[in-house]
Amino acid sequence: MVTRDRGYSMIEIAVTLALFGIFLFIIVTLTSEMRRNEKKWPVNFMSHPDVSAALSRLRRDVYDTKYFPAAWQNYSQTDQTPIIYMVSQSTAETVVWDFRTPGQVTRHAWIANLPQADWTAQGTPTFSAQQYEAPNGQTGLHVVALDDRGKLAIDQILIPRPHD
Amino acid sequence: MGEGAKRSFKAARVYNHSMGRRGFSLVEVLVALLILAIVITTTIAMFAERQKRLRQAQETVLAYQALANEAELWRRVDFNGLDAQPLTFRSDTAILAPLTPYVTTVKIDTPRSDVRNITLTIRWDIARHSASLALARADTGGTNLW
Repeated sequence: MVTRDRGYSMIEIAVTLALFGIFLFIIVTLTSEMRRNEKKWPVNFMSHPDVSAALSRLRRDVYDTKYFPAAWQNYSQTDQTPIIYMVSQSTAETVVWDFRTPGQVTRHAWIANLPQADWTAQGTPTFSAQQYEAPNGQTGLHVVALDDRGKLAIDQILIPRPHD
Repeated sequence: MGEGAKRSFKAARVYNHSMGRRGFSLVEVLVALLILAIVITTTIAMFAERQKRLRQAQETVLAYQALANEAELWRRVDFNGLDAQPLTFRSDTAILAPLTPYVTTVKIDTPRSDVRNITLTIRWDIARHSASLALARADTGGTNLW
């Protein structure tokens, strides 16, 4: 019996490669567009929820602040370790936000002199907090966080709410 | 080729008479390609939509940071001086750099003589997206803490 193996014709291969090429072109265009967009942005807030969580807790602390002590325990009031004396529902609390470890934000708290449980956020950009004076003379914090490429991820003015 | 092998090929639909095997028909190949195209298109569309929504969420997070900063300042302007303020953002809007070009506006409404409604708005992406924050100021006769 005669068997005849027949391969694909040049046109068949050309059409297949053209279709595959178009498909590849679409994929590459789409992914490069996404890459370009990603570079434009600072830290991804959706995949790093700790960043927003840290800001929310810091905001609440500053809103409840009575004043910013110059020092507490072994900490001094600096951009990397803002110290907050705050009032809560039943008691007063001293809080130190520690930004010194890269990629990490830790909240140390004391009620009177008793240390409370620390709270730590991981995968954060580099935070710092400077004292800020509002137009009416109130003192607050200007919180800034830069990602590893130096892009501004957080830029918030937080001013305490009146308590008395 | 033995009869058993031929039957196996027939069962697998690759039997061709010239050498005992047969290829797929044009209709079969087209239907397969159509299904593949639908799957690929749906996947790409889903991926693109996800990226779009993620970007919008990121934009909104940044926009509301700028709005919150601006609101803090407008809260602390003396009530009697509100009308004389320039209707522009006075806070640093560097956080909005990824949204460039963007437009910021401030609108002050006077529903009553002792009330001012201040609306802060940021528009970006050729005004296709916007974020607003409104605050009401009342003349309480007290300090301008609120």
